[in-house]
Amino acid sequence: MTGAAVTHTGKAARPGFRLRPGRWALKAAALVAFIYILTPLIFITWLSFYSQEIPSYPPQGYTLRWYGQAIGNQRFIDAFVISAQVGILATLIGLVIALPASLGLARLRFFGRGAVNNLLLMPLIVPGIVLGFAIYVMLVEVAIRFEWNMLNSFGGLVFGHVLLVVPWMVRLIMASLAGFDRTLEEAAMNLGANRLTTFRRVTMPGILPGIVAGSMFGFVASFGNLELSLFLVGPGRTTLPIAILQYLQWKIDPTIAAISVLQIIIIAVAMLITDRFVKLSRVV
Amino acid sequence: MAAVTAEGPRGGRLVLSATSLIGPATVVVALGVIGPLLILFRYSLNDFDPRMLMIDALTPKNYIEFFTDPYFLAVFFVTVRVALMTTVICLILGFPLAYVLARTQTRFKNLLLIAVVVPLFVGNAVRAAGWMTLFGSRGFLSMTLMDLGITTEPTEIMFTETAVIIGIIAVNLPYMVLTLQSVLEGINRNLEEAAFSLGAAPLTMVRRVLWPMALPGIAAGGILTFILAMNAYATPVLLGGPEFRMMAPVIYSQFQLNNWPSAAAVAFVLMGTTLLLTIAASVATRQRFRD
Repeated sequence: MTGAAVTHTGKAARPGFRLRPGRWALKAAALVAFIYILTPLIFITWLSFYSQEIPSYPPQGYTLRWYGQAIGNQRFIDAFVISAQVGILATLIGLVIALPASLGLARLRFFGRGAVNNLLLMPLIVPGIVLGFAIYVMLVEVAIRFEWNMLNSFGGLVFGHVLLVVPWMVRLIMASLAGFDRTLEEAAMNLGANRLTTFRRVTMPGILPGIVAGSMFGFVASFGNLELSLFLVGPGRTTLPIAILQYLQWKIDPTIAAISVLQIIIIAVAMLITDRFVKLSRVV
Repeated sequence: MAAVTAEGPRGGRLVLSATSLIGPATVVVALGVIGPLLILFRYSLNDFDPRMLMIDALTPKNYIEFFTDPYFLAVFFVTVRVALMTTVICLILGFPLAYVLARTQTRFKNLLLIAVVVPLFVGNAVRAAGWMTLFGSRGFLSMTLMDLGITTEPTEIMFTETAVIIGIIAVNLPYMVLTLQSVLEGINRNLEEAAFSLGAAPLTMVRRVLWPMALPGIAAGGILTFILAMNAYATPVLLGGPEFRMMAPVIYSQFQLNNWPSAAAVAFVLMGTTLLLTIAASVATRQRFRD
């Protein structure tokens, strides 16, 4: 097939002319993929405005009332609050342990550095469902051996989510440390600043984009996590993604669509803010 | 890795303790990942009795059962088949978009990239919900096909393997596009122009210049989407329905049936298979790359 293409186009006229149809085909193919990616988001948004409750096409009319229903739904409010609390706590704890770790990994040369680096990125590699199950059985063993029951507790949930946050932080903070000009620190010290002042006034502002981006990605990874949380939530304590999954296993209607759209908006805003600090396409 | 000595800026010796910097994070991740995985592996060698639940033992029974029981074997082959199909389709669909994003000069480029990235962080359940409104027997797709007179009966895609494949492709496509885009951006455009000026047709240029140079990126993107598809949970649960089984949902349902040893064995088969196929893929591409 390609051999034929060579002989055909070998006789073709000027390159500019020859490329035109190919260019259009390429752009059309790219557009198909682009629309494909956005299709589920477009349709869930559309459904959230349907006037009838049954999601049959075509809609009989349009309304905004499902957004009122969504905001007033106690189950989803509770789930949202839990997800936000867990996300914020896990992000803060993650930052406290991941920032020094990133500094150590980026600046120091020590035995086992590569292994530690890989270990800290491991929670991204182990499937969420396996990691959640594994943490669950560890908590079972802890409960049996040390009589310390963390099963289905808030603490256990936060612990699991710290693991989700750490790899994003390490990746993004180390990336911004790699691009940081160390002569700036030397200049500060030459001017008489001590090491703490240098870190506070020179290093920190320099790597702030990485810290902000790491925190944002960490929070979003925690906020949107489903698989790991399945094993760690307790009775009366559900995260938003699990609440959405359970509702969808039962039925789909404009209320859940409105809730989904609100979640999409929160995440899109977080991503647009993050994009001001680091280019999103560089880090995913 | 106790104390590390580094040459300080003013020539003075500055001693920093690597342990105090990386210690806490290392301990947390080791306790949260390595420890639990070891315990889980030990559980996978335990025995199970419906009345006594988990019984202490040291038996490969759960693994043998997985590879002999028709139910588990079907789950295994469906998972691998879905993962391979979605990966190939993601590659075919993703390459043109990645190329256009890598070469475009428009000032909306960043906005286009954000539009590709945001769906990644919108939960899989939400994206599955979007497909559910399309796929139902009275959904957009079925009704539109009937309105256009293409079909007379309602089309039922919901709760089929097709629905799951369509859903997983949408989930994984952004990863493929972003991986390919960053690799294609690193390929000098002059090489393409050189191929064209030597008389190559666009497809020949892609086959002989772009494809070999982008191969490491193609392998990376393919491996990433394959792993994600193998581990998919929300999409098969919501679009496949209760009868459709992939490995990740089976782990959770075995867990809920209290058969922890079996669930643990499925978990390790899932990770082992993914690892083996990933290694095979990277070895294969590295050999191709050398030729």
